[in-house]
Amino acid sequence: MIDPRIYEQFRDIGRDLYVANMISSHAGNLSIRLGDRLIIKRRGAMLGQLKPHDLIETGIEKNDSGVALASSELLAHRTIYMNTPALAIVHCHPRTAIAFSLSRDEIVPVDNEAAYLLKKIPVVTEEFASGTPEMASKVADALENYKIIMLRGHGSFAIGQTLEEAFLWTSILEEACQIMLYAKLIDEPFIEYRKMSDSYNKF
Amino acid sequence: MAGWSEKVLDIDLNTHTHKIYPLDMEMARLFIGGRGLGARLLWDMVGPEVDPLSPENVLIFTNGPLTGTGYQTSNRFSVTTKSPLTGTILDANSGGFWGMQFKKTGYDAMIVRGKSETPVWIEIKNGEVTFHDASELWGMRVFALTEKLGQNNNKRNVLCIGPAGENLSRIAAIMNDRERALARGGPGAVMGSKNLKAVVVEGRERPEIMDQEQFKFLLYEARKSLAQSPLTSQALPEFGTVVLMNIMNTVGALATRNHQQTQFEGAEAISGEELTEKYLVKNASCWACPIGCTRISKTEKVEGEGPEFESTWAFGAQCGIDDLPAIIEANTLCNDLGMDTISAGSTIACAMELSEKGYMDSDLRFGRADQLAPTLEAMAYRQDIGSDLTDGSLRLAMKYHHSELSMSAKGMEMPAYDPRGMQGQGLLYATSNRGGCHMRGNMVGPEVLGAPKLIDRFQVQGKSSFVILHQNTAAAIDSLVLCKFTNYGVAEEYFARVLSAVTGIKYATGDMIKVGERIWNLERLYNLREGFTRKDDTLPARLLNEAPTDGPSQGWVVNLEPMLKEYYRGRGWDENGVPTKKKLTELKLEAL
Repeated sequence: MIDPRIYEQFRDIGRDLYVANMISSHAGNLSIRLGDRLIIKRRGAMLGQLKPHDLIETGIEKNDSGVALASSELLAHRTIYMNTPALAIVHCHPRTAIAFSLSRDEIVPVDNEAAYLLKKIPVVTEEFASGTPEMASKVADALENYKIIMLRGHGSFAIGQTLEEAFLWTSILEEACQIMLYAKLIDEPFIEYRKMSDSYNKF
Repeated sequence: MAGWSEKVLDIDLNTHTHKIYPLDMEMARLFIGGRGLGARLLWDMVGPEVDPLSPENVLIFTNGPLTGTGYQTSNRFSVTTKSPLTGTILDANSGGFWGMQFKKTGYDAMIVRGKSETPVWIEIKNGEVTFHDASELWGMRVFALTEKLGQNNNKRNVLCIGPAGENLSRIAAIMNDRERALARGGPGAVMGSKNLKAVVVEGRERPEIMDQEQFKFLLYEARKSLAQSPLTSQALPEFGTVVLMNIMNTVGALATRNHQQTQFEGAEAISGEELTEKYLVKNASCWACPIGCTRISKTEKVEGEGPEFESTWAFGAQCGIDDLPAIIEANTLCNDLGMDTISAGSTIACAMELSEKGYMDSDLRFGRADQLAPTLEAMAYRQDIGSDLTDGSLRLAMKYHHSELSMSAKGMEMPAYDPRGMQGQGLLYATSNRGGCHMRGNMVGPEVLGAPKLIDRFQVQGKSSFVILHQNTAAAIDSLVLCKFTNYGVAEEYFARVLSAVTGIKYATGDMIKVGERIWNLERLYNLREGFTRKDDTLPARLLNEAPTDGPSQGWVVNLEPMLKEYYRGRGWDENGVPTKKKLTELKLEAL
């Protein structure tokens, strides 16, 4: 039995991701860690319209019948939990960030909030960019050092202690990328306002 | 190697001799320093056959690779020993200046073993060790002794015990820099049992930093983070830790009158706001700390550091006392006597309840501020009723056949946060390796303060994951050794990066949490070796069975059993709370 308070967290963050245009109708997934188990979105469920039965509980290391129903990104979520301190994961498809991931190996924000909170976001490449052990391993490796990363052409994976925290990193990333896009469109020389800004790309 | 001096000082008080040998650097890489290094060294030295107050117990003083570097709050150090209060492994850490100065003497760790025939004090000056006769100092209180031995914050720093330590009170603290304390679990009694009155340090060595550029950047970013957080830039500097009094009372998680209630009607009168308005002289800082939560307070009778939130609570709400000057004076007296304020206040509260209920023949009563000072004096000198109280509330309550009235976990008095209003805090206390302690993890952050994000404090399912993460994080911070308050402003990812910048060894955020997990499991193994079992991972029956009848926590008890089961599974332990072979191998502890 999943605590109704936990369901409410999934429902609210899922809806916000959809409303914020960070997923298409059935994409993206969320999970939280409960000791040696996790709760994850059901495969095929609509993140923006989650119902209590759309949450699936299964083991992090051990299979049970829950795996038959879980999101196709279950392996990535499990690998992340096994290799990082994450207690919650938000995976979605932020459009501007995906666009930047197509041409860069790392995204270094220029706006104040993202520079302060994220410093930089590495971009990971994997040919089979969905549901494979190779992808899971690369994403988890990157998340050992960063709280949010981009999988090139696919989307973001963010970790936190709560879904809300992981959602925060996600929305900051997308906002940062939109600002960078607007700055590019304006196409005027950048006036640096941050001290030691050269160090952000070494973070 | 940068970060570590690579030297251990090993002092034998039986012979007044010392040895210096290299630090095992593989051990340092796995356990870092501070609490972690102390635990690993203690594992080999003090087994279950050793009485904590015998010469065979040791005191292990450790600093960490960040100590003295100038990174925010890099002033702290640890002492590790077997606790005479709980019988568990014990580490206590303290701020001020002594830790920074100790690092400058050129040692990562100082082990003190044996027992001196006569009282002694030790001076370590630029690496040289001198033993001095302390016969004439024996009996001196902390403030006078600290001054006599030449305390000078940036040059020469004094660590000592007061009368409580000399008289082997099991709640005696080791004091440093006059009013900072290695407070909990009775390390002062261990020092007293060795006839060691003081350790004075002076040093000149400057810690090396491998990547200066990255270090400066992290220092700069951390300064921004601490300045940006209202908690570290406004609340703590303006009101000190006592800012928590009104907050905890409002949410119905302020233990009151020996945990009989969860709200105190006199909270406002002993709040941070009241302290600042009427009694604050100025605030002060430990070395390299931009937060400055230390209070310098003054009443008609005393002027001194503090009181901290926990001390104000222990002598205040827990004893039903709303007389702030009396609380400030009790806190200063405790510091001068060298006694843990949390255990002292909570033990007095236990005695008050025993007396009010007619189980103990004494005139101690809740609300009697005038009884605090004389009771503390009696405790430190083991006089009259004080001899019953000076070894903590559990021994006191057992003597009067009502052990259920000791508000302790594994024999250590719990601090202010009543876990009936914070389920995760309850699990934290029950599983803490040194007993009822709020510094083994920080559930106040997520459950009350919203740091990093607010979680439902009454939620049970999934709460163990937070407790495990926060316990591991706390152990990692304690191994660096930094102040936990940095964690309110600076993200966990900084700790790994700053350690990497200082040492040149690449640590990821996950690596630091793994170090914390390794330390936690080693401490668990130590306690299991001492004979502790699953049944010791519990709380006083009052918290498990008696729900508050009013206030925001009305109707709630700690729902421990399901959280504990989830916790054991999440830790990779069996159903009896024993780490599995697989987990120990994963943590490189399989050889222990």
